Amino acid sequence: MSNNLKNTNILIKILKFFLSLRTAIWLLMTLLCLLFYGSVVMPVREEFQSLHTVPLFQWMIDNSPFVTWWLWAAIGVISLLTANTFLCSIESVMKKKSARQWMLVISPQVVHIGFLFILLAHLLSSYSSFRGTAVVYENAGLRLPNGNDVLFKRIDADTDPMGYIKDWSADVEYFRANRSLRSDRIRPNSPSFQDGLGIYIKTVQFRPYPVAMIEVSKEPGAVWALIGGMLFMLGMITLLLLKIKKEETRG
Amino acid sequence: MHMTPVYIAVLSTALYVFGYYRMAFVYGGFLLQLAYMVLRGIELGRLPLVGPHDTLFFLSTSIMLFALPASSSLKNRQRFLNPVIALTVCFMLCSMFAKPHSYPLPPVLKTFWFEVHVAFSFFSYALFGLAAVLGVLYLIDREDGTELLQYKTILVGYFLFSVAMIFGGIWGYYAWGTYWLWTPKELWTVILWLFYSLYLHARLRQWWTGRPAAVLGIAGFVIVLFTYLGVSLLMKSSHTF
Repeated sequence: MSNNLKNTNILIKILKFFLSLRTAIWLLMTLLCLLFYGSVVMPVREEFQSLHTVPLFQWMIDNSPFVTWWLWAAIGVISLLTANTFLCSIESVMKKKSARQWMLVISPQVVHIGFLFILLAHLLSSYSSFRGTAVVYENAGLRLPNGNDVLFKRIDADTDPMGYIKDWSADVEYFRANRSLRSDRIRPNSPSFQDGLGIYIKTVQFRPYPVAMIEVSKEPGAVWALIGGMLFMLGMITLLLLKIKKEETRG
Repeated sequence: MHMTPVYIAVLSTALYVFGYYRMAFVYGGFLLQLAYMVLRGIELGRLPLVGPHDTLFFLSTSIMLFALPASSSLKNRQRFLNPVIALTVCFMLCSMFAKPHSYPLPPVLKTFWFEVHVAFSFFSYALFGLAAVLGVLYLIDREDGTELLQYKTILVGYFLFSVAMIFGGIWGYYAWGTYWLWTPKELWTVILWLFYSLYLHARLRQWWTGRPAAVLGIAGFVIVLFTYLGVSLLMKSSHTF
């Protein structure tokens, strides 16, 4: 009986810890310190140069803990912050469900949900993103990691009288098992997507012959980040409008 | 230094200095800044938001853009506008030391997402700057209205900064294939965002309201300045000038 009571007390203490705004503040402070440290070491440590070439988690496993400890610690703090955000949001809605201005109660929670979606996006991308670069010639083909082949039919660029490249493009055609899937055009800020992979042109060169430096990437968290970002904005807009309205009513 | 912006800056500074005596001159100085930005935008065929000259000038104009309506709710408007004028003139004069970037933009920068990302970032920086001024004023006069206005300014600034980050992520995804890059600039952007998240959450607790919140609001602007200028000038990043 006393053991049960002891366990219950411990659980209540843990729950109180996660339901506390003070916990959120301390976690944010700790996270700020860790990221500050990271921003100082990043430009000076050579290991960070390869951070964009592999998924974050793989990079963290491949490198020494002396280099990556602050990232591990940041992930730990973010995990606690996630639990804190989630539980605080639930508690807030439950406590104030009978409040008159329900939208004012729910808006910050929508912001929190948006934040959690963005964290989920980073988690997915850190686990299974992909990035590869290649130099391709006109009329050359490339085998993509998803098994598709892509043919670069035409590489083009538009230059101004001063010689600056104003625009570039590449016409591509996708194949799978020798069957044409579709044709597309890649331009700056307009990549080509096929079966979860995006192809981006980094730069083009025309002498002695047309060449494009391309990047193939997979970002599994992108959709979740977009959903999270939209929820965040929606929550913030509603919150701001309601707060302004509340002030006007008060005034 | 290029002469046209210098003339504009000198004339605008003179108007702002007269603004210490009569409010109409502040509007004059602001309108002159605005006119320069519009003309420069027409000349470039885009928003003038690339390079330290244009961004510092944009920041300076944005500070006044938000200060004028924000000051209307204050009892002593001039007391707030005096340091704001100093801040505006300071950034405007700093912009004169940088050469205007008048070259065609690289193709990846010619997009709506980039322009909105940068414009909203500087709007939020301007609001955070105003919040710092309000924080200093609160520490001097201890008027609750000043601290409340600081909170409101930070709340709107935080919203615009969040939108800027989201739009930056969308642009990054379409331009580079990722919505996030591990560079010092991105890291400092997150530090800044987390710092103001901390402010907004801390202010909900009784202990943090008043003086500590005002101090946080001032410290935030120091982080803004480092994120904007310090990282760009001192650290290698995707956002270097």
